[in-house]
Amino acid sequence: MADSISSVCNLAILDKLSDGSIEEILESYNGFCAATDTLLNGAGDLSVGPQFVSHVHGLCKHGLESLLRDHFLGALERTFEKNGALKFWRHFEAFNDVSVEEEVFYNALEEISLEKQYQEKCLLILVHALQSYNHGSHDSNDYRVELFAKYQMSVSSVLMATLPRHFPEILHWYFKGRLEELSTIMGGDFPHDDDDDDDDKDDMDLDDKCKASYRSGQMEIDECYPQGRFLENNKLVNNIGKVVRDLRSLGFTSMTEDAYASAIFLFLKAKVHDLAGDDYRISVLESIKGWIQAVPLQFLHALLAYLGDSVSYDSVSSGLKSPLASCPSTFYPGIDTPSEGLVRWQLRLEYFAYETLQDLRITKLFEIIVDYPDSSPAIEDLKQCLEYTGQHSKLVESFISALRYRLLTAGASTNDILHQYVSTIKALRTIDPAGVFLEAVGEPIRDYLRGRKDTIKCIVTMLTDGTGGNPNVSGNTGDSLLEELNRDEENQENAGLDDDFHTDDKQAWINASRWEPDPVEADPLKGSRNRRKVDILGMIVGIIGSKDQLVNEYRVMLAEKLLNKSDYDIDTEIRTLELLKIHFGESSMQKCEIMLNDLIDSKRTNGNIKATITQTSQAGSELGDNGVSMDVFDATIISSNFWPQIQDESLNVPGPVDQLLSDYAKRFNEIKTPRKLLWKKSLGTVKLELQFEDRAVQFVVAPVHAAIIMQFQDQTSWTSKSLAAAIGVPTDILNRRINFWISKGILAESLGADSDDHVFTLMEGMVDSGKNGGTNGSIEDLIVADEEGESSVASVEDQLRKEMTVYEKFILGMLTNFGSMALDRIHNTLKMFCIADPPYDKTLQQLQSFLTGLVSEEKLELRDGMYFLKK
Amino acid sequence: MESTKLWWLENLLKSILVCHEYTSSRWHAVASWTWDAQDETCGICRMAFDGCCPDCKLPGDVCPLIWGACNHAFHLHCILKWVNSQTSQAHCPMCRREWQFKG
Repeated sequence: MADSISSVCNLAILDKLSDGSIEEILESYNGFCAATDTLLNGAGDLSVGPQFVSHVHGLCKHGLESLLRDHFLGALERTFEKNGALKFWRHFEAFNDVSVEEEVFYNALEEISLEKQYQEKCLLILVHALQSYNHGSHDSNDYRVELFAKYQMSVSSVLMATLPRHFPEILHWYFKGRLEELSTIMGGDFPHDDDDDDDDKDDMDLDDKCKASYRSGQMEIDECYPQGRFLENNKLVNNIGKVVRDLRSLGFTSMTEDAYASAIFLFLKAKVHDLAGDDYRISVLESIKGWIQAVPLQFLHALLAYLGDSVSYDSVSSGLKSPLASCPSTFYPGIDTPSEGLVRWQLRLEYFAYETLQDLRITKLFEIIVDYPDSSPAIEDLKQCLEYTGQHSKLVESFISALRYRLLTAGASTNDILHQYVSTIKALRTIDPAGVFLEAVGEPIRDYLRGRKDTIKCIVTMLTDGTGGNPNVSGNTGDSLLEELNRDEENQENAGLDDDFHTDDKQAWINASRWEPDPVEADPLKGSRNRRKVDILGMIVGIIGSKDQLVNEYRVMLAEKLLNKSDYDIDTEIRTLELLKIHFGESSMQKCEIMLNDLIDSKRTNGNIKATITQTSQAGSELGDNGVSMDVFDATIISSNFWPQIQDESLNVPGPVDQLLSDYAKRFNEIKTPRKLLWKKSLGTVKLELQFEDRAVQFVVAPVHAAIIMQFQDQTSWTSKSLAAAIGVPTDILNRRINFWISKGILAESLGADSDDHVFTLMEGMVDSGKNGGTNGSIEDLIVADEEGESSVASVEDQLRKEMTVYEKFILGMLTNFGSMALDRIHNTLKMFCIADPPYDKTLQQLQSFLTGLVSEEKLELRDGMYFLKK
Repeated sequence: MESTKLWWLENLLKSILVCHEYTSSRWHAVASWTWDAQDETCGICRMAFDGCCPDCKLPGDVCPLIWGACNHAFHLHCILKWVNSQTSQAHCPMCRREWQFKG
């Protein structure tokens, strides 16, 4: 064997070899092989050392240095495979599942490490032998480095080649177990402290809370490093460190690192989930950071320190030193100077924590926004996370799908959707002041709301009425959304004013240097951030499309409200109107202002008329007979041109009241010559009290109800036809209205002689409804006539229909001439030709709904998008 | 029986009409006012009489009507503007008769 190898190496040498030297070589070689065997398998017996050295020298003399090195390494490898690796793996064979007992793990490592150490000793002997042979010619360290590197390589390749599949998992579980142990020791009371603190902090406002938690975060860190406990942990950490070192020396460096990294990350993830949970009222970011400082970083610090931080982080360029430089040294309590490796770990861990928390919050964003004002700490957290990770698009996607699934369904009430929309705007404004993501998120909600009929109505109610019927809104109950918006706006404007005042060069420079580019996701078509200042009202109006529609709807609602007022108290309405004026401009609210003004005028005029009429009536005493006095009579006088269309029904009010009305009108005419009053007799409210034997019941009803019940003074039983004639309303309306009294148990209905002529009879007291209903039977019950769907003001749709009827003629004429026309064409033709009084100013949608109405009236036909005349 | 009914009715009557006993019973009516002009709109500004002239914001007392001797009505502000813009004697914009305010 020796011949063959050396012949390959250097054939010329062979010629020079004398028999004697061959003999010597053979002898040395045999001796060397035997010594190697004894050495390696000799179970720690190093006594053959000197003999071995002499053989080595002998061989070296003949230039067979490389041969013996190769042989020795080969022998080492074989021995290691036999003695080390196989035994080592055998330890784990029993544990096919990953739960390896700590003891077994330690023992196995111990054993293989011992084996390795022994082999290294043997290798050292060889190195020494070689060194002693030719010192001077080689750099003495060269042998050592070269041989040990080779040996290391062979060890790891042997182990890798025989690696059982579940070994990485075993490592992972090992580290996980240790980390948990460490965490319970280190942060034993950490989470509890935190919880208590947070409970106390709940009543503080947000800013304080943030600061407090930050402070307490720091404190916790400080407290968590009492030297004593830290030293106590040292044992555990040392153990782990030893394991890691052993594993590294076996060539498992990367696998070990993977294992403890994944264990730490998994643990961190669990911790984040644990801390963050489903409570959105506390900010958890600081405590998570604190925890990272307290447990995993300490662990890593100890580990890296134990290992001498030898893993080559030398390659870290100076550019990466910046985070280190920016960290104050107090940031690492208990650690004097953080190593680069530790800083890198910290950054990694924090990024991971941010990402985990962000994902957690994003999946729950819907719930968070539902409790928005309370959940603002969670939003704050999310904002910080997103700043760090920059994964805004994830948020948008997930939130939109949550919206579609949970909110934009037929089951959700428009009010709820609107409230969620507003909360979303507010919440996302915190996260993203430029409103880029808001735009993306808001789009589906807006689209959906546009498809709902009652959207405008709900918006107006929400804007103007207290909390818009949503009792869940905490905080300033009773304040309308509008007022809230106004407060916001004032704040924003104040901030804006500040900017304006100091726009000298310096300030301009500061502003300029504060400029931040739009997020990458920004739609370049939608303008820059300056134009996209988030305006909640604007976004709400954006749902409807134009403010005119909103104002119109508000006018209708206002009219309804004002007409049903029995006093002249309109303070809240005036406030609301003033706020609306700020947002929509004075001119668009003109009509509403006149309506309110009418009420104020009415109050004055009413007082005036009543004061003067009493004098005259006292003088003439013409009203004395009925005892009807002006004192119980009030009137609202409206400028009908500026009010929405009012549905006036004919009604004969009872004689005495009629008398009052005409007196009142006469007096008005005298005072305000030449103006006259036109009574809208069916409008208004009547507060009346019905006296029964045992009690009195108060009602607030419409005049028509009062007129009905008063007819029963003269006659206790009426047929519907005669009653309708008496009070001057059509029979069907009477039948509808009289239900109110029937439902209250004051009138009874029975079939009369004629099939559609009912008989109404006055009941003897309120036997059934009042007492059977289980009411307390007290003297006074205030019952308000609640008319469903009976509004005195024409709805916006009715108005539109009325306005559109003007064009019906045009449309029918056009279709007669052209045969068939598409919607667009009708729209354009109307726009072109109807420029005179009244000009055509409807939208395509309005026209479409009108045409649909005509189709349903069978005047038109719609086929393939074309309208035809119905033949 | 009959007497009960009568008693009830009496009370009902009182409750609505006899105010000094039941002050809580009130009738609140609604009316609209109108200038009793024969025409709908002002001949000068083409705005409704019951509305107001283009210069005014509030209708009613603030923006009254005025009748000329010829019985044509205009918004006071409108006709004053017209009268003041005429160099010599002003005429009614509708009938060209000499404009005199109706006393």
